[in-house]
Amino acid sequence: MKRVLLFIILLIPLGYMSFELFIIQDVKDPIKYIYTVTGATATVILFATISLSLIRKWINLIKYRRMFGLFGFFYALLHFLNFYILDAELDFLFVIEESLDKPFIYLGMISFFILIFMAITSTKKLFKKYNKFHKLIYLVLVLVTIHFIMAQKSLSILQFGYVITILIIAYCKLLQQIINKNKS
Amino acid sequence: MNIIKKPSWQIDESEITSKELFDKRRTFLKLGAASMIAGSSIVEALAKDNIPIANLKYIKDKNINNLKLNTYDQITSYNNFYEFTTSKEKVKPLSHTLKTENWKIEIDGLVEKPMTVDFDDLMKKFALEERVYRFRCVEGWSMVVPWIGFTLADLIKYIKPLSSAKYVRFETLEDPVMFPDQRRGVLSTISYPYVEGLRMDEAMNNLTLMAVGLYGSSMPKQNGAPIRLVVPWKYGFKSIKSISRISFTDKEPLSSWQKENPKEYGFYANVNPEVDHPRWSQARERVLGKFFKQKTLMFNGYAKEVAHMYKGMDLTKFI
Repeated sequence: MKRVLLFIILLIPLGYMSFELFIIQDVKDPIKYIYTVTGATATVILFATISLSLIRKWINLIKYRRMFGLFGFFYALLHFLNFYILDAELDFLFVIEESLDKPFIYLGMISFFILIFMAITSTKKLFKKYNKFHKLIYLVLVLVTIHFIMAQKSLSILQFGYVITILIIAYCKLLQQIINKNKS
Repeated sequence: MNIIKKPSWQIDESEITSKELFDKRRTFLKLGAASMIAGSSIVEALAKDNIPIANLKYIKDKNINNLKLNTYDQITSYNNFYEFTTSKEKVKPLSHTLKTENWKIEIDGLVEKPMTVDFDDLMKKFALEERVYRFRCVEGWSMVVPWIGFTLADLIKYIKPLSSAKYVRFETLEDPVMFPDQRRGVLSTISYPYVEGLRMDEAMNNLTLMAVGLYGSSMPKQNGAPIRLVVPWKYGFKSIKSISRISFTDKEPLSSWQKENPKEYGFYANVNPEVDHPRWSQARERVLGKFFKQKTLMFNGYAKEVAHMYKGMDLTKFI
């Protein structure tokens, strides 16, 4: 039951975006809008994924961590498809060139490829073998945060707020690691 | 009996054309002629859009390039106006705090006589004309806008700068009561007042417009009321909004985005599909309301009118 509920909650951003795009039809710049919604959602879900262990004392959702991670990947995939299909209009060469040329693009691309790897190796069988590589999520989160900051012309106060939230999560994670180390 | 006989040449007072109207006869003729040639594009758009009733008198643009106008709704609901917010959709609902009554523009620097002009006086002084221009944002989206205004060249001729003046510098109003982001001090998105500048030949170019309206009516607040610059061959951020100060200088002014990020934004900011923004390609653009992207044109399609001003300049360096 909990699983179904979480599944639905994690689909809300996609539902909301589709509603705005296809029913209300008042989005002025759809490509930009899809970038913002999918990118922000992927980032929030991925940060939520690593925060599950921080809040387990209050709400224990740790057994849904894989589901969270896969949803994060799903929104990152939509974000990439928006770039490849709608923005680049399937121009493969253009995508390659941009990915090699511009830090803003390749930070996103590297993160995306790490997420593909993590999604593939998230099955029970493969996870046993590859779970140590799943620490790469922290690299992804660092790259994604830089990617997010670079997407803005200048950070607004609200966006400062996001960055501060991210730093707080990072600080809590670090504290948790130190405590865990001292215990063992 | 005392009968007053009217001489045959005398006509009734009521039949005399007033001096005001008589003085306007040429404008009237032009308006009539222009409205006949005017494309149906505006009429068409007026019919299906919620456009306020036109309150400006102007000579219509023949739109010889047959540019397809963006709707009034698109133009007035998607704006970059950081004094309010960085969200382009939220400028419109926030912009009501901008008060444009008794708007004044300070004119100073290298001019014969520094002065403060009333916006209302300017409106009386200059005949208005419509200009249908492409508008290309540095972020990669674009639209086509039927601006209304007078040329900056006309204004400059009226101001009479000194011959030592080489640049024009503009400022957007700084008033924390009207603009929420100006109240945030060090936490504001960019530093204020917003500053832009043009080289004198760019300012005198016939394309450069001081816009006071669009779609036949006064400039909406979110689009930079009551008066803004429009430089169609440059990225949108050069077209500074809600101007409250114009100065003439002999040094290149430091514009707001240059100050913010000199590696990414230069003084010129000419639309150039061959020179990418460091973070994204400028080769193509998303026209609001169109599903497919289109190729961005050199100087935004105005190369014929402006390319000569940049002859011999390395456009990859002078961004």
